[in-house]
Amino acid sequence: MSNESNFAPEKTGAKLFHRKDLYLALVLVAFGAFVYYEADKFPPAPSILGDTINADVFPKILVVILLFLTAIIPFEFKMTPEKVAKIDKDRDQKTLPITWITIFLLLTIVFLTDFLGAVLTMFVICLLLPIVWGERNYVAVAIYALLFPAFVWFLFNQLLGLYFAPGILEVFSK
Amino acid sequence: MEDVIKGFGLILEFQNILLIFGGVLIGVLVGALPGLSSPMAIALLMPFTISLDPVASISMMAALYCAGTFGGSITAILINAPGAPPAVATALDGYQMAKKGEPGRALGLAAVSSVIGGIIAIFIFLMATPLLAEIALKFGPVEYFGLSVFALSMLAAMSGKSSIRNLIAGTLGVLISTVGVHLATGVERFDFGVQELTEGIKFVPVLIGLFAMSELLNQSRTLNDAVERMNAKALRLPTIPELVALKGTILRSSGLGTFIGILPAEGSTVAAMMGYNEAKRFSKTPELFGTGHAEGIVGPEAANNAAAGGAMVPTLALGIPGSGTTALILAALVMHGFRPGPYLITETPHLVHAIFGAMLFANIGFLGIGLVGARFFSYVTFIPKRFLWPSVFVFSLIGSYAYSSAFFDVWVMLLSGIIGYFALRNGFSPAPFVMGLILGKMVEETFTQSMVIYDSNFMSFFDSGVFILFMVLTVISLSTPFWGAIRAKLKS
Repeated sequence: MSNESNFAPEKTGAKLFHRKDLYLALVLVAFGAFVYYEADKFPPAPSILGDTINADVFPKILVVILLFLTAIIPFEFKMTPEKVAKIDKDRDQKTLPITWITIFLLLTIVFLTDFLGAVLTMFVICLLLPIVWGERNYVAVAIYALLFPAFVWFLFNQLLGLYFAPGILEVFSK
Repeated sequence: MEDVIKGFGLILEFQNILLIFGGVLIGVLVGALPGLSSPMAIALLMPFTISLDPVASISMMAALYCAGTFGGSITAILINAPGAPPAVATALDGYQMAKKGEPGRALGLAAVSSVIGGIIAIFIFLMATPLLAEIALKFGPVEYFGLSVFALSMLAAMSGKSSIRNLIAGTLGVLISTVGVHLATGVERFDFGVQELTEGIKFVPVLIGLFAMSELLNQSRTLNDAVERMNAKALRLPTIPELVALKGTILRSSGLGTFIGILPAEGSTVAAMMGYNEAKRFSKTPELFGTGHAEGIVGPEAANNAAAGGAMVPTLALGIPGSGTTALILAALVMHGFRPGPYLITETPHLVHAIFGAMLFANIGFLGIGLVGARFFSYVTFIPKRFLWPSVFVFSLIGSYAYSSAFFDVWVMLLSGIIGYFALRNGFSPAPFVMGLILGKMVEETFTQSMVIYDSNFMSFFDSGVFILFMVLTVISLSTPFWGAIRAKLKS
C-alpha cells in the first residue's frame, strides 16, 4: 500500500489522464449508456395528450449531462490537482478486509431478517458485529446484545406500536 | 401576528416541548459523536415521526439541526475531532485553547457565539421567508425550472472534494428520481418489472443508507483510532467585556453565515470556513489564529449556526434546500403532506412560525445543555465504536422497514449504503446526490410544464427575464470553482 500520491507535481504534467478516474468514468459511461438504452424503449405519449413531453426525454437529457461531466473526470487532476490528490490519498488506501467482512455480514443479516424476525435480527447484529469488529469483552457484548434489542423492542413495539415481524419466534407464540 | 402566536402556541404544548427538547438532546449528542451527524439523525428519525403530529415532527427536526451544528464543536474543542464538518474550523483554535488549559472557556465562547449567530439568523429567517415566498408566488413553471437548475448548479460550489463530482452526484440523484411512473404520460420508467419500483425509489431508505450505512462502513476502517481528551467539567460563559471585545467578529460572522445559508446548496461548513477566514482578515492580531485565539472560535461558530437558520429560508420559501440537512427536512415536509415552497407560507403559516419557535428554543436549549452537560457530552464521545455502530445499524434497519413496512426498502437502504461508501471513497459526497434526488421531481415537472407552455421550444424560455437571470447565475456558479484554479495556473 502506498501513501504517496500518484500526482506529485513533477508527474502531473506528464500524464494525459488519471488512470483510476478513467475507470470511474468508464463505469459512469456504462451506466449512462444503459439508462439511455432503457429510456429509448419507453413508449411515446399517446396522441390524446397533445404536446406532452415523452417519458424518455428528461432521462435522456440527464444522461447527456452526465456523460459531459463524466468526460471531464479523467482530466480533472490537471484542473484541480490538489483536490484530486486528496481523493487519491483516500482511495489509495485499500479497502480493509474488515470492511469487506462487514459488508458480507450486513448482507447476510438482511438476507436472513425475514426468517429471523426483527428481535432475533437485532440480537444477532448486536452479538456478531462487535465481535467481528474485534471486541473481546464477551460479557459486555452479551449484556449489550440482550439489553439493546430489548430496549428497542420496548420503545418501538410496545410504546410506539411499530410492527415487529416475529419470524422464527412465531413458533413460540403459538 | 396571529399566525406567530398560533405557531408558538403549537410548540408550547407539553408533548411538543418534549419532542423539541428531545431533538436538541439528540442534536447535541450526534453532533458531538464523530461519525454521527444531524443529517444521519434526521434520516433515521424520519420514519418514526410519521405517526406524530407533523408540526411537532418538523419542529423537532429543525431543533435537532440547530443543536447538531453546535454539538460538533464540543468534540472539536475537547478532542480535536470535529463531530460534524461545520466544526472543523472551530477545532483550529478551540482545541489549542483547550490544550492551554481553558476547555471550559473555549466551549463557552463556542456556545454563546453559536446562540447569538443562531438567533440573528432566525430573526432574518422570520422576516425574509415571507418576502421571498411573495416573490416566488409570481414565478411560473419556467422561472421555477430556472431556479431549480440554479440550485442544482450550486452543487458545484458545495463543500466537498470536487465540484465536478458534486455535479455528477446531483445529476445521478435527479436521474434516480425519474424511476417510477411518469406522471404526465403514465409510462413506467426503469422499474424492470419490480412492483416496488413503480412508485419510485423512496427517499427515506436511500437517505438512511447514504448517511448512516456508508458511514458505518467507513468507521470499520478506524476501529482502533485512539483520541486524546481534555477534561472540561462545564463550559464557562464569557464575561461581558470579553463579549463586547468580540462583538464585531460575532456580528460579522452571523451576517455572513446567514447570507451563505440562504444561498441554495451552500451550508454551514462553507459558512464556518468563511467565518474563520473573515475573522482572521479583520482581526487586529491575525498572527494569534491557530494558537487558541477567541476570535478563531467565535468567528466560525457564529457563522455556522447562523447558516443553519439561513438555510431554512430557501427551503421553506422556495422549496429549494439550503443545505444537505435542510434537504432532509424538505423530504420530511413532503412526507408529512406539506407543499414546500411559497404555498407553505400562505397555506400553513403557523408551521413556519412553529419551526421558527423550535429553532429559537433549540438555540437557548443547547446553551443550557452545554452549561450543565459539557462534561457528559465529552464522555459520550468515548462510547466504543464497536457498540455504537451496531446500534446505528439496528436503527437503520428498523427505520427503513418502518417507513412503509416493506422489506424491499431495507435492501434499498443497505445497497445505497454500500454504493455510497464506495462513492465516498471516490470523492462523491452524499449531500449533492440527496439534493438531486429531492429536487429531481420538481425539475422534471417544471421542465415538462414549461415545454408544454412554449410548444416544446426551449429557446422561448429565454423570453422570461427571471429565467435569464437564473441562467446567468447558473453559469457564474458553475464556473466559480474553476476560477481559482485557472488563476493559479495563469500565475504559475
